[in-house]
Amino acid sequence: MLTARDIMTAEVATITGSATVAEAVKVMKEKGLRALIVERRSDSDPYGIVTETDIVYKVAAFGHDPKQMRVYEIMTKPCVVVNPDLGVEYVARLFANTRIRRAPVIEGKLLGIVSISDILKKSDFVEKPKQLYIEDRIEVALEEARAICAEKGATSPECAAAWDEVEELQAAAADKRREKKKVSSLEAYCAENPDALECRIYED
Amino acid sequence: MMQAREIMTKSVVTISGSATVAEAVKRMKEKGLRALIVERRSDSDPYGIVTETDIVYKVAAFGHDPKQMRVYEIMTKPCVVVNPNLGVEYVARLFATTRIRRAPVVQRELLGIISTSDILNKSDFVDKPKSEFELYCEENPSALEARIYD
Repeated sequence: MLTARDIMTAEVATITGSATVAEAVKVMKEKGLRALIVERRSDSDPYGIVTETDIVYKVAAFGHDPKQMRVYEIMTKPCVVVNPDLGVEYVARLFANTRIRRAPVIEGKLLGIVSISDILKKSDFVEKPKQLYIEDRIEVALEEARAICAEKGATSPECAAAWDEVEELQAAAADKRREKKKVSSLEAYCAENPDALECRIYED
Repeated sequence: MMQAREIMTKSVVTISGSATVAEAVKRMKEKGLRALIVERRSDSDPYGIVTETDIVYKVAAFGHDPKQMRVYEIMTKPCVVVNPNLGVEYVARLFATTRIRRAPVVQRELLGIISTSDILNKSDFVDKPKSEFELYCEENPSALEARIYD
């Protein structure tokens, strides 16, 4: 699975909370950015974010003077932050659940920013859609299959269909696991026990 | 006051509602766009919009296969449309109250698309912020409240 680190934008611009909104707009225009990270006052201070949506919704929409308003009046702080090792599918789910579109990527320090555009343009969700919580779904499918087979009989078509579904899920999960570890359990066993009967290799 | 027409983006790409999400993503990537306008079936059909937010929130977040899902399943239709003569401050207000970030600019036909980025980058709200009162006076120059004493 691709992680936030793989798709994030490493170039981030920061601004202080006490800067004016006009200054924030200037930085955004110059660098072509849609959001700025608000600098922390100390190491224990949380990260903040100010986006073009904040500026349009809270300043432009009311005709407030951006030269008079300050970033701290419209920023979101603390903001949702993302761990660089979080899978892209989980980043998408987190964004959907919290209704946000971008978040700073942080591990000890600010590493970058990840946005819905990054997910759309750089992740592989079109080529390789990944189902989340697949292990949980296998468990549910297993329980359901057992219940159906107990009720309808082990040779009924409903029972066969239920087990087909379990098999499909297990195949999808196996696909996912294969990316991580290419060593099968037999190979691992043989590596540890090269003299075992099961590990014999016949040569022509 | 600046109008939607002056700051909108004229290059708009459309897609049919029956296209797959994978096709929509391809088109967005190729053209570097964040939204596509969904074609109307007839002149009385409303406009629709599909944005990158729709795709990430409703497809990527659930691991659905974009090659299997269709644009009509995730689009917003009818969508909010903007008249080209609407003042930029009112576009911003409309966006804030409806919680949207972009909308097609329509007057009989599709003229363009306007987004929060257009407002930020092309409008004059930093140099000439307009209060509610100033907007009112601009629209009603003969109102008593709009009198200017020399």
